[in-house]
Amino acid sequence: MVPHISAETIRRWVPLFVLLGLVLFFTALNPHFFSVRNFARIAISATPALMVAVGVTFVILMGSIDLSMEGTIAVAAVMFALILNRLGGSVVGVGGLAIPGALVVGAALGAINGLIHVKLKIPSFMASLSLGFVGVGLSLLITGGDRILIDDPVFRSLLTVRFGGFPLMTYVALFCLVVAWFIQANTTIGRNFYAIGGGEELARGSGLNVGRLRIIAFVIAGVFYALGAILAVARLGIAETETGRNFMFVSITSVVVGGTALAGGSGGVWNTLIGVLIVNVIGNGMVVIGLPDYFQDGMLGLLVISAVYLSMDRRAFSFVK
Amino acid sequence: MRRHFPWMTLLAALLVVGITDIRFLLPENLVGLASDIVPLFIMAEGMTLVIYIGGIDLSSQSVANMATVLTTLELPVLGAGSGAVVALAGLAFGAASGTVTTRWKVPSFISTLAVGGIALSVAQFASGQQALHMDAEMRRHAFGWMLGRTAGVPHELLIALALGAIAWFVQTRMTAGRIFKAIGTAEPVAVASGVSVGRYKILAFALSGMFAAIAGVMFSVRLSGGSPTLAEGFLLPAIVAVLVGGTPLTGGVGGVLNTLIGALIVAVVRASMLYLNIPATGQQIFFGFVLITAIATTIDRSKMRVVK
Repeated sequence: MVPHISAETIRRWVPLFVLLGLVLFFTALNPHFFSVRNFARIAISATPALMVAVGVTFVILMGSIDLSMEGTIAVAAVMFALILNRLGGSVVGVGGLAIPGALVVGAALGAINGLIHVKLKIPSFMASLSLGFVGVGLSLLITGGDRILIDDPVFRSLLTVRFGGFPLMTYVALFCLVVAWFIQANTTIGRNFYAIGGGEELARGSGLNVGRLRIIAFVIAGVFYALGAILAVARLGIAETETGRNFMFVSITSVVVGGTALAGGSGGVWNTLIGVLIVNVIGNGMVVIGLPDYFQDGMLGLLVISAVYLSMDRRAFSFVK
Repeated sequence: MRRHFPWMTLLAALLVVGITDIRFLLPENLVGLASDIVPLFIMAEGMTLVIYIGGIDLSSQSVANMATVLTTLELPVLGAGSGAVVALAGLAFGAASGTVTTRWKVPSFISTLAVGGIALSVAQFASGQQALHMDAEMRRHAFGWMLGRTAGVPHELLIALALGAIAWFVQTRMTAGRIFKAIGTAEPVAVASGVSVGRYKILAFALSGMFAAIAGVMFSVRLSGGSPTLAEGFLLPAIVAVLVGGTPLTGGVGGVLNTLIGALIVAVVRASMLYLNIPATGQQIFFGFVLITAIATTIDRSKMRVVK
């Protein structure tokens, strides 16, 4: 007897199958695609994006959106580099304070974002978009448009030291992903994000402090953006305003492609992992088969439109603005 | 009171700067100020129509970037016709955003972001990721009429005012404009009244795309070239112009005349920052907070049961 497979189950597994299909597709076109060396390359480019996408996942789970990541990453990266270089230039010793410093910067920007969104009752996409602009301006003001070089060998070991072919930063990111999963699945806050996304009025009716939870989600997101910023700096050895560039589009595409619904309430950080891998496999695969990389923005655009289109339960709401 | 707030802000801003330096209020300075922001104003006019119906267009900057590249590329082939072709391309991109939003129910901030990504790819592909330059003679021949002055008034400014007048005519004197207002005020009611809301929403997005493309055409003529990043930095001030002018994010009130005031406020604030020696990077921070303030004070919260 054939076991019954519901449409819901299929929908849940589609992103994973898409990922496997893409890997097979690019391998068929160019066997060099399927090698540890190339997978490590994908992992390196995917790692900072994974942190950022995981951060925004929490916000999207509530049915809100955060478009401030480019500004937050820029400020966190620049502050990280400044603190590090001011305190001796090495993450071993006092300079290590740069890491919690950057995380605090991310959390503070997230808190401001959440407060403006909740207290002033401004839709999150506009509150966060405005603050993203503020962040980019702020990081330009701090650096004066200059690049800050980081040449601490201990810090750069995140990229240079490899285990099993993959650099250290991959494992750091996976650890952070597990932490994010723990927050999502095993804490009250995490469960409440789903409650808000599933139906805000119900959540409020059952006594949740929705405003406070929203602010907490933006703070968590800010911390993950800062983690992404640190890993992005580790990858290039440079901190500048440009460090944040492109992360907004890539991370939101990843979350949506992974199967987390924009309306909130379903999906999660594992979906985001799959989504980030899909986006980066496509990016890498396009280069491997010889397509120029500037097709990526258009590709992401088509991807996000089709993912939102496929994931939405269109019977549930009749008006979309 | 709220209706009169925008022009009073403009007047106050002019007075404050005028007190510090009276030369700021000289007519030629003000005309120069206004013609400086012509591309921005045109983009904001288009965006006004989308915000007026309660949506948002985040693709304008990318469409304008694409327009600068395409205009420069097509100038040798089509001459002045390149401007018209590029405007039509903008119309098509806007219509695509509108179609995705209305037919596929993708929220407009995502659909326009995505279509903007596609426009950016087209720009990068067409330009080969390089800055392109117009041939001076061809530019003069095809677009010279854009650059002159009549009685001291730059033609760019006249074109902008003409486009603004067209947008105003659409908004106030045509069926489409009345329906835009109905959609912005209460979309469910518009649907229940038998209006084919989807079609008119697509029209609003399409017009926004076209205005963004025209803004790109004029910008590339002014700078005599095009590149996929030429119009970078337009998005924030354009949204600010719409919101500060008094068209709230929730739509339904305000309109293209408000955006004229809003764009002038942006121009005065920018110029006054130069006068007060505030660095350009400070501007972005300032405008970010201005945007938040403008949204918070104009938004109609009775339309939103839940703020997401």
